[in-house]
Amino acid sequence: MKKNWRSSALFAYSLAILAFLYLPLLILTLYSFNDSRINAVWTGFTFKWYIALLHNQRVLEALTNSLMIAAVSTFVSTILGTMAALALNRYTYKYKAVINGLLYLPILIPEIVMGLSLLVLFSQTSVPLGKVTLILAHITFCLSFVIITVNARLEGMHKDLEQAASDLYATPWQTFRYITFPLALPGIVAGALIAFTLSIDDFVISFFVAGPNSTTLPLYVYAMVKRGISPEINALSTVLMFATISLIIIAQVLQPQHTSSKKEKE
Amino acid sequence: MKKRIRLALVGLFTIALLVMGCGSNTAKQSVTNEKGEKQVLNLFSWADNFSPEVLAAFEKKYNCKINYDVFANNEELLAKIQAGGAQYDLIQPSDYMVSTMVKLNLLEKLDKTKIPNMKNIVKPLQAPSYDPTGDYSVIYTWGMTGIVYNKKYITETPTSWADLWNPEYKGRVILLNDSREVFGMALKKNGFSNNSTNKDQLDKAFADLKTLAPSILAYDTDTIKQKFIAEEAWIGTMWSGDASFTYKDNKNIGFVIPKEGTLIWADTFAIPKGAKNKELAEKFINFMYEPKISAQNYEYIGYNDPNEKAREFHSKEFLSDPMLKVAVNDVKQGEWLKDIGDGLTLYDRYWTELKTIK
Repeated sequence: MKKNWRSSALFAYSLAILAFLYLPLLILTLYSFNDSRINAVWTGFTFKWYIALLHNQRVLEALTNSLMIAAVSTFVSTILGTMAALALNRYTYKYKAVINGLLYLPILIPEIVMGLSLLVLFSQTSVPLGKVTLILAHITFCLSFVIITVNARLEGMHKDLEQAASDLYATPWQTFRYITFPLALPGIVAGALIAFTLSIDDFVISFFVAGPNSTTLPLYVYAMVKRGISPEINALSTVLMFATISLIIIAQVLQPQHTSSKKEKE
Repeated sequence: MKKRIRLALVGLFTIALLVMGCGSNTAKQSVTNEKGEKQVLNLFSWADNFSPEVLAAFEKKYNCKINYDVFANNEELLAKIQAGGAQYDLIQPSDYMVSTMVKLNLLEKLDKTKIPNMKNIVKPLQAPSYDPTGDYSVIYTWGMTGIVYNKKYITETPTSWADLWNPEYKGRVILLNDSREVFGMALKKNGFSNNSTNKDQLDKAFADLKTLAPSILAYDTDTIKQKFIAEEAWIGTMWSGDASFTYKDNKNIGFVIPKEGTLIWADTFAIPKGAKNKELAEKFINFMYEPKISAQNYEYIGYNDPNEKAREFHSKEFLSDPMLKVAVNDVKQGEWLKDIGDGLTLYDRYWTELKTIK
């Protein structure tokens, strides 16, 4: 009886926490379907704000910018990150722990410090701010996340498979092509998805390093709020949110592989 | 597991295709730019600050491309201009930011012969105090802070800031969430300048505001329109542009400029130092004050048109909007905010104290 009471209390508590986390997002989504142009009263269901978004040239431009920047920085950071993870995993060398730590540091550094230091760097070296600086900045902060994700996958892999391959006269390239790469692939894909999500979402760092013709979606949303929060912003935020959530879910689905294979090994 | 990976790969591939699709589009655009030698105007402004049709018309007329990037406040604009420099051809600082930027030597002098349409602007707004010679900026949008009220609950038309203190409105008063706005209002009520840094005057304003505090529903800027439309608030301070917006959704809303005078603000056009395409920027400014174009533009953005010559092209609704009309008639009542430097410390201290009063 007592146990029952406890578990239902716990259940209620979890619900409260979930509500606390998700209620604001839910309300934001709900009001993106509101017929009125102010958020004060609910006047009816409509898709018109989503349709308005599709016809808003500025929004489409910002979306194109965001996707382009995310695609390029994901591509580059995934390749660089995978190579770095392979090297970290494979070799032992002096100060390995220190170098490992340094690679993970960008995750811990406050975004605002990173944004500011990149801005200082770019203006000191007089690189004109714009898409190029945005891509460089995004690669910088995506890299660590890719390394971590790929490295986690590599750690969970059986070394004996690679050894078996070279025992059977596979060249290093063949070993990589047919053994290491396919096994590491889920980690690489997950890393790429995380990088893509981070790049699409980033505001703080982009805020510092953006220049002419490089307004991304989050920067646009921020500037729009100044004019008062219209349902169009709600709609845009909802789209952004669901894109992010679906990417994260895909990354999550790919992630458990390495933990289960680790268990197998143990 | 393999299935999952395959699925993910297919997903990624689709995303990549989509992106490449978008990417190639923009690539095509830039190619034609080079071939047709299209000029580019890098515009740095507030979001949604222009009619899209007007921008398109300019692009067509001068065979150029406008890159329209956005900022959310003046300080952000200043930081970008100071850090990057010469990236943008045309910017839109507000009144006080114009004088700050002139002081910091960040603005180019405008070539007035290239902007003949400047003459179309109403006289009092041609040489405002933040740019007394009108050498560095041209006014674009402007407005005033006034009293907004709901005629359903407030039958007597307010005439003075003191009307906010009416005890009948207890719990229904909203003030803008900004220390300069709130203290500026209280200073004006007492007949002082809203740029005052005199401690006695500020003390007086502060004492007044403390007596008003129990009546306050909220200090709010972001959702003030909603509160008036939903009739949660009956009376308060509001910008004329917002009042016009509110009026469209609730016809009981009235707006007046109090007799003691009030704050006036403006967003302007200015050209940053070293702009690559100063000539095109000046063409743009001139274009925006062609009577027909400016009528079309201001109808879209819903702000006061400072263009005298545009009057005949405006619709009846626009000209009869009570909010916009009030603001035009009362320009002389307005006082521009100035950068008060260290004087702000006292404002901030009183402001913090004021907001803790329940």
